[in-house]
Amino acid sequence: MSLTRSVTLEKSGRPGTRSGGPSRLRSKLRLDGWGLLAVPLLVFLLVIFVGPLCLLIAKSFTDPTVGFENYQKIFAEPLYLKILRNTFVTALVVTVVTLLLAYPYAYLMTIAKPFWRTILLLLVLVPFWTSVLVRTFALVLLLRDTGVLNTIAQDAGLISEPIAMLRTLRGVVFGMVQVALPFAVLPIYATMRGIDTRLTQAAQGLGDRPSGAFWRVFVPLSMPGVAAGMLLTFIQALGYYITPAMLGGPKNTMIGELIVQQVSTVLQFGFAAALAVILLVTTFVLLAIAGRFMNLERMLMGRS
Amino acid sequence: MRTKAISLVSTATLALTLTACGGGGGGDDKSVTVTMWGGQAQEAHVASYFNPWGEEAGVKILQDSPTDYAKLDAQVDSGKVNWGLVEVEPNYAETACAEGKLEKLPERVVTAAQEAEVDPAQMNDCALPILQYTFSIAYNTDTFGDAHPTNWEEFFDTEKFPGKRGFWKYVTGGIFEAALLADGVAPEDLYPLDLDRAFAKLDTIKDDIVWYDTGDQQVQLVASGEAPLVQAWNGRITQAAKAGEPVANEYGENLISYDQVVIPKGYKNADLAQDWMVWFLENPQAQADDVEASGYGPASPKAVELVPEDIRPDVAGGADVNDQTATLIDYSYWAENYADVTERFNTWIAK
Repeated sequence: MSLTRSVTLEKSGRPGTRSGGPSRLRSKLRLDGWGLLAVPLLVFLLVIFVGPLCLLIAKSFTDPTVGFENYQKIFAEPLYLKILRNTFVTALVVTVVTLLLAYPYAYLMTIAKPFWRTILLLLVLVPFWTSVLVRTFALVLLLRDTGVLNTIAQDAGLISEPIAMLRTLRGVVFGMVQVALPFAVLPIYATMRGIDTRLTQAAQGLGDRPSGAFWRVFVPLSMPGVAAGMLLTFIQALGYYITPAMLGGPKNTMIGELIVQQVSTVLQFGFAAALAVILLVTTFVLLAIAGRFMNLERMLMGRS
Repeated sequence: MRTKAISLVSTATLALTLTACGGGGGGDDKSVTVTMWGGQAQEAHVASYFNPWGEEAGVKILQDSPTDYAKLDAQVDSGKVNWGLVEVEPNYAETACAEGKLEKLPERVVTAAQEAEVDPAQMNDCALPILQYTFSIAYNTDTFGDAHPTNWEEFFDTEKFPGKRGFWKYVTGGIFEAALLADGVAPEDLYPLDLDRAFAKLDTIKDDIVWYDTGDQQVQLVASGEAPLVQAWNGRITQAAKAGEPVANEYGENLISYDQVVIPKGYKNADLAQDWMVWFLENPQAQADDVEASGYGPASPKAVELVPEDIRPDVAGGADVNDQTATLIDYSYWAENYADVTERFNTWIAK
């Protein structure tokens, strides 16, 4: 699949010009010439991703006994369902907050002068290049009851009691948004840069107010970037482990933590595999639902 | 055809690389790979009693960290055992030993342990204690300058001693034992644990509990005053106090715990690893050096006498600490109940 896509992308200038022919499969995959370059990656993915994934799925049905036991266990225990729900709710909140921050930021980048644009880009990218672990530890120092933020606010007389941020959903969202921001800002910015500014000028020339031109012309044109940023953020957020583990409390447990716990402390590999499969399936289902409402492939792949 | 050939070549190359990596770890003939929890403690252990033995016996000491039971199991299952001496928790050792995943201790090690007066309660068929520590009441000396809790009953008394309480988010971390002692259960009647009663007691302070996962976190919690009272690993607190943090240990009703060292089944240099075990037991001085360097108590009581007098009051296994000990944590109980209690604990904690 990825092969088809990457090849189609390269030739997106004239999509679908050659179809049919002697060998259907060959022409479908366009495996002649340059297409062969994708083969090592394909093999690599087969060995390190598809293979283990199959083993994982198999394990969820066979360890410790053959059957649906692991899955029954997930649905029999309210805690696991709660963690699953918590995972999706947290990911959703993170996605919304990230988009609300990323969109104006990306817009600012498109209208800023080159010097300031570079500064803005650096501000997003420098944290992106720093270890997540280091950043999360720094956030612990910042957010805890006796941390920097609370101490300053208390000394300034703004609050009398420390505001609990660490070990709450607030802390988790704070940390995760911070990690996810580049993944939303960059695709949105890339799309916005490609938007022809004359279109909004034309809209104004035809009598629309600036705000109207923005909402009716610019925003719809930037939607592919928003969709890409949203999907990247959301799917990424579902699998977060370190950030919720360090910034959240026991009530904010996400599925990644539960899986780690099952693998490394209780040693229930089959159950952990079942949890991973559930996460995967739920994500696919959500993507399918999202796909009904928007053309994901076009939004993610195409700029036109 | 061309594609097929290329993919075959790629697969073969990958397979070769994988085998090469897999086989490389085991290494040369005279080596033992030591796997522990990592950090400064591991550095201290290796410097005090692995490297000296290695130099003496002409064995190269290799290191890995941290201990990971899933990895250990996977090595034994696949028959490619790279880890030689692994620091584990006693409940894991008991379960894994019964499942045949660990090498049994040979007679010469058992004899040496007897001669070193190692507490038989801390041994099993496959595992030797390597160090001891105790779950103490760590408190912030600024917050509780005049009076601090001296037993678990006071530790649970949030009216007399207000503030958050730190506990290890881990069922074998002494939390249930402390709750039951606080509720008036006599130390000798602790096991099997009355979990209903323990959870009921924990419910009374649940809103005041802050959970930690690591040794660093517990020090941060007490030292920053965020949780001025923490059920802690005494060695961490001792070292933080030495570094000038406003923290101290209270040893009233402390709960002794220990780590063990095991050899995974099928380890190629198991005999060398067993040589080390004997050497370790016959060298209380090396253990005493480790006490000084790591803050953990020694496996054999003989080593306590060799520890400098000024740090002896904080040595788990020494008289000062042991006289106030409530009990040794019963890891046989935990071997049997670990998974069930973990599940119940997780459900309770997330409510």
